[in-house]
This record gives sequence, C-alpha cells and structure tokens, in this order.
Amino acid sequence: MIRLSIDQQKWWELLMMMTEKEIKARYKMAVFGFLWIFLNPLLQMLVLGFIFQFFIPIKTANYFEFLFPGLLAWNFFSYTVTKNTPMYINERALIQKAKFPRETIVLSVVLSNLFHFLMALVVFVLWEALVVHELHWWRWWLLPVIMMWLAFLTTGFSLLFSSLNVKWRDVNFGVQAIMPLWFYATPVVYSLDLLPEWLSRWLYLNPMTAIMEMLRWTTLGLSINWISVGWSLLVTLVIFAIGVYVFKKESPFFDDWV
Amino acid sequence: MKQNNLAVKLVNISKIYQLHHEKPTLIENIFRKNSREKFVALNNVNLEIEKGDKVGIIGPNGSGKTTLLKIISGIATPNQGKVQTWGKLVSLIDLSAGFHPELTGIENVYQNAMLLGMNRMETKNKLREIADFADIGGFFDAPMYTYSDGMKLRLGFSVAIAAEPDVLILDEGVAVGDENFQKKSSDKIEEFFKQRKTVIVVSHWLAYVGKNCQRVIWMEDSKIKMIGGADRVIRMYQRR
Repeated sequence: MIRLSIDQQKWWELLMMMTEKEIKARYKMAVFGFLWIFLNPLLQMLVLGFIFQFFIPIKTANYFEFLFPGLLAWNFFSYTVTKNTPMYINERALIQKAKFPRETIVLSVVLSNLFHFLMALVVFVLWEALVVHELHWWRWWLLPVIMMWLAFLTTGFSLLFSSLNVKWRDVNFGVQAIMPLWFYATPVVYSLDLLPEWLSRWLYLNPMTAIMEMLRWTTLGLSINWISVGWSLLVTLVIFAIGVYVFKKESPFFDDWV
Repeated sequence: MKQNNLAVKLVNISKIYQLHHEKPTLIENIFRKNSREKFVALNNVNLEIEKGDKVGIIGPNGSGKTTLLKIISGIATPNQGKVQTWGKLVSLIDLSAGFHPELTGIENVYQNAMLLGMNRMETKNKLREIADFADIGGFFDAPMYTYSDGMKLRLGFSVAIAAEPDVLILDEGVAVGDENFQKKSSDKIEEFFKQRKTVIVVSHWLAYVGKNCQRVIWMEDSKIKMIGGADRVIRMYQRR
C-alpha cells in the first residue's frame, strides 16, 4: 500500500464523501432507486438498437452486443462533461462557505458516473460470459484500462470546461450544443468501416473514436487502427494537462465570479 | 520562531474585483476590449492577529469588511500580498449554506463537517454531540427539505462548533433559532470568548463589539483606517 500523508488522506476522504453524496442524491425518492443504473442504458440501447439496426449494416451477429459497451462509454463521457461544466456555478454555496480543494467537486461527479459505468459494464460482462459464452479473456482484461483512459479524458474536459464556465457562461451553452453533434461524430451507433475513407480519417481526430474502437476490439474482436489509438492517447494527455493547468490558474478566483 | 503566537498575518493585501454592470452584448464585448471597471475592495492591507485575540471589525457598508474575512478564511485569493494563518479556521456566517435539500441531516452533517476540515472518523465520533446540540429530534435522519429555516441554522451552528475551530469568524447575527436555542448558542459563543481561541467578529452593533473584543479594526474605503483598543477606536468611530 502507498502510505498517504494526513492531508492526502483527508483529501481522499473528502472526495469519497462527495462521490457518495453524488450517488445517493441522484436516486433519492426514486422508487426503482439504483435499478436505474441498468434500466437507463438498457432502455436506451433497446430503442437505439431497434431503430438503427435497419439503417446500419453492421457485420456482427448481434447489433445490441455491438451497441451496448459503446453506448455506456459515450453516456459516461457526455453525462459527466455536461453535468460538470456548470458545476462551480451550481455549487456556489459550497464555494462561498469554506476553503476546501475545489477539484473534489468535479472529480466526485467523474467518480460517481464512473461507478455507474462500472456497474453496467459488469452486468454486460457477466451476460457475455454466462449467456453468450464468448469471452477472449486476454482482451477483456483491457476493459479497466480503457475505462481509466476514458476517465482521464473526461476529467480533462470537465476541469477545462467547468473552470472556463465560471467566467464565461457561454461555455455551458457551447457544450450543450456540441454534445449531440459529438455523438454522431463518434462511432457509437455505427462503425468507421461503413464510412468513406476521406470521412473516417477526419473522425480519427476525435479522441472518443479510438476509445470506441478499443472497446469493440476488446469485446467483439473487431479490427482497430492503432495509429488512431496513439493519437487519442496523445490528445487525452494534452487535454488533461490543459484542464489541470486552467483549473489551477482559475480556481483560486472562483469566488470572485460566482 | 516569533510568529508562533500569531493566528493571522496579512502582508500588503490587495483585492480587486471586476465590476459587472448590465451585460454587454457580444458585439460590444468584441469591440470594447478591457473596458471592464475595476473595484478595489482591499487596498494594501497589513494585519496581524495574535492567538487568543478577540478582534472586532467595524466600518460602513462596502468598506471591505466581508472581503477581509473572505481573504482571511481563504475563500477568496488576494490579487497581491501574502496571507498566512495558523490553526483551524471556521466561519459562523451563512450557517445553512451548502446543505443539500435531498440529503438527510446526517448526510449533510458529514458533508458540512468534512468541508470544514474534519475527517470521517472525527465526524462520526461527534455525530451524537452534534445531534444533541442541534436538538432537532427525529428530523436528524429526514431529508433537509423537510426542515424549517431555524432547524437548518441550528444544525449548521452545531456542526461548525463541533469542528473545534482555533479561529472563529462570526457576525452579530450569531444567536440563531428560537429563544431557547439563541440562549444556547450565545452561551457557546461566550465560551469561545472566554477560552484561548481567536475570535473575529464583524458587526455594526458597537455595544456588542465593545463588550466582547479587546481590539477593534475600523475599515473605511478599502483600508484599515484605525486599529487599536476597543474603547478608543469605537469612540473615534462614533465621532466621525
């Protein structure tokens, strides 16, 4: 075990408490409670899967199987970034109340959504292992790595957008406008080989593309473009670094603007 | 070290806010760059507060009292200068801020206590004490939206004092809740005044400041106009 200093331990406890609060607060007063973790992506998958299987000739035995992991990953990303962008404005009461590490607000949203993502993914993995009997174990081991990767990318965007949104509230409108477009610019419901090459080359600029491809390479054994994976890794690191830098620069002055 | 008996030290602190008037349109924003007005809330303030000091801050509205407190408590960051504090600092202003309406009293106590710098274990050990002091009965594990305003204040007060602050920041409106609880909370504050804790009070109620504080800071026009013994500063302030 890594031994933590008292300050680090406190920071971690605070983060865990805020994450717990995020998870609990969401399902308060909901009759189905935590069942919504599975119901939500399942319903979404059924509807999207039912519609898109008529449009998109995916060469896979089961379109739902193709859709589900990608949809979970996309939902995690878009929910988290959308929720986090106005977070420092929404939580102004906490900011004005006490001095505490401001990053815990954004990180708790990332972690609570990561928890939801993980729960749903575990159900999917169990389903594949027990019902479909199609697990290439050495590839499936990569799922946690892909999740971590996605979490870093999501954290980077969250820190960046939420910090900028404190001064420039336009950022929130921009994120809300861009997310649905981003969904279609990411191969969630389709795969890249269905597109003409000039177009798919452009989509590789999107760091989410490689995440989707890695998920399908892992779960379904589909082909993958490793150059795009390298590119996505680079973009993730750059976005994360920029996010941390902007947050560090802006966060001491959040109180001035909320 | 000489500074070991200090609780707060401010050196050359300046705080500048940008004034927000009517929101300019996008076009105006693009063509009139840097036209934002600045407001100097604190202008080169130097201050030392010793451990165990009871300090009152007085002054007219807009003289920089709140900003000074925000700087001391670390909620706001100065544009210039250096802030140093020793010991745990807790503010009794805005007690019910930061409570989540959907969560129960207990869950909110954990959140509030840990934001004030307690860890999970300390909070758990103090839970009983907090519940007893707030005295809100069966509401403790009910969601916060079922609370009255008075109950929220009582819970907020109980958490804040359970945090065992070394430096306590408060305003004159600290006696909260109903008559019974007002007595209890002001007794508790009295206790802090008697102990060797540092207390910083912001108030317009000069008699309260005069009675409880030895030193008084008179803020005017973003500066410390006068600092010294309570009686002398208050007398000068009244004669202004």
